[in-house]
Amino acid sequence: MTLYEHNTAAARRSLLLPACAFVASAILLPWVGAGPISVAKVLHRQSPDFEILIQLRVTRTLLALVAGGALSLAGALFQAMLRDALATPYTLGISAGASLGAVSVIAAGWQMLWGIPATWLGALAGAFGVVALVLGGFTGRRQISAFSLLLTGIAINSVCAALIIILGGFAGMSRTFSIARWLIGSVDSTSFTSLAVLSVVVLVLAALVISQARSWNLLAVGDQWAASRGVRVPALLRTGYLSGSILVAGAIALTGPIGFVGLIVPHLVRSRISPDHRVLLPSVFLFGGALLAVCDALGRIVLPPAEIPAGAVLALIGGPYLVWAIRQRRPSEEM
Amino acid sequence: MSHLLEVANLQISYGSRIVLRSATLSARSGEFLALVGVNGAGKSTLLDIIAGFLKPAAGSITIAGRDQRSWNLRELSQRVSHLPQAVHADLPYTAEQLVAMGRYPHTDRWFESDEDHSFIREAMERTHCWEYRHRNFRSLSGGERQRVLLAACLAQNASILLLDEPSTFLDIEQQLHCFTVLREEAKTGKLCIAVTHDLNVALTHCSRVLVLADGIVAHDLPAAKAQENDDWLRLFSSRLRIGSTSAGTPWIWYQ
Repeated sequence: MTLYEHNTAAARRSLLLPACAFVASAILLPWVGAGPISVAKVLHRQSPDFEILIQLRVTRTLLALVAGGALSLAGALFQAMLRDALATPYTLGISAGASLGAVSVIAAGWQMLWGIPATWLGALAGAFGVVALVLGGFTGRRQISAFSLLLTGIAINSVCAALIIILGGFAGMSRTFSIARWLIGSVDSTSFTSLAVLSVVVLVLAALVISQARSWNLLAVGDQWAASRGVRVPALLRTGYLSGSILVAGAIALTGPIGFVGLIVPHLVRSRISPDHRVLLPSVFLFGGALLAVCDALGRIVLPPAEIPAGAVLALIGGPYLVWAIRQRRPSEEM
Repeated sequence: MSHLLEVANLQISYGSRIVLRSATLSARSGEFLALVGVNGAGKSTLLDIIAGFLKPAAGSITIAGRDQRSWNLRELSQRVSHLPQAVHADLPYTAEQLVAMGRYPHTDRWFESDEDHSFIREAMERTHCWEYRHRNFRSLSGGERQRVLLAACLAQNASILLLDEPSTFLDIEQQLHCFTVLREEAKTGKLCIAVTHDLNVALTHCSRVLVLADGIVAHDLPAAKAQENDDWLRLFSSRLRIGSTSAGTPWIWYQ
């Protein structure tokens, strides 16, 4: 076996576990919930088991798989571009912008605009507003400094958080509750049309991002390091910021700002499987989707009939894990 | 033999500060040039311009007979490799993964070919870092990291190597080894240009010494004849003196 064949086989083996986790989640998790579902009734399309499985559980499981994959992939992407293992779409303020947009339409009481869920449009507008603001501020410069972007992101996060609080104060009791619940982040059942649109957007962008894995490897070391090896750095960064922003905005428009998945999954995959983006990115997408789907399923069964939002479950699991993982690091691996 | 690299009248400023006023140099394949000068003289800037990272306000660069701007980025990276002063790889790549990145301009394949691996191994063996190829780059000492980065440059197999302080963090033995590797690389027909502050290492290993001062290449000396005129030393310090070793090699000391 040549080294090339050996590396290809090793990469396939590395992807086997995340792929199995993704597929197993898609097949098994719809059956998990507060009430049991009869397989016989589902096979005979009998109510209500058939409707609960197909219209509620399958859609929310698929949504969790796609949204979790998108958010995790965006996290790994921003970490490569900013060369910071703790960077996420939150760091740049993109999640905050999308949240502000979605909260604005909830506060205004808009449900649908031109036949499209208003939170979608609000989240997309907010995310792109932030991207335009962040990247627009750097127009004309040869390079975009990661440090400047991080500082800008901190400022945007603060402004968006303040505006969300103000909007919540003026929105009235019921809308304030809706805003608060949306901000926790949850995976609710959605229409197959919404799911299909999100899936197409996410899969196309994921393919685009993963196809440039070799370039992300270089960029994660340094701009000059990448440029001196033939990478068109400014164009690659533009592609990365735009793709990452759309992935984030599209996902959290349906789920709310679930942030931890974009931090914890890349960290886990990088330390346990490979830091090489050729393996890392597809693994992160598959594991991220599976993790969010598992958290959503756990949220359904822990305190029935009440449901714990997937974002809360993820934070409760992910927070302690991240602290543990950071404490395991050797001093030489500290940033 | 025609020049592999020709730099003519480069100008660049950072704000109101003129860094390069009219830098001109030319070099052939097989030469090993030391680029020296005081801090802020523009040595790194000159390398960055040749590598295509910075665009000069005026001047021209010709590489292998063609204007630098007419090469696309990939073609340029197949011909010019650049070793930065430092990289801040926060992500946990292994030493071998970093060196493998040097092969990026030469392939579109998803993984490195067997030929790529032979370049990677040879470069790592030459810079004495093959034995820790599986170690996390972040866990390496400064000197070990520098050897890995030099190996990545060698694995790129470019005809021009631009090295910004390649012996930083290296102990004396490794500094000498680093410059010996570069001298051997030059002997195979490559052009090596190394920024350094160690004048004696430059004089004993390089074929020419270029002294950058006041935004120009103020002195362009064959290393073997550097002691014939010590004007260039005054640009560094009035305490420096130059003589010869018993073998006739120029040698600098300070009073």
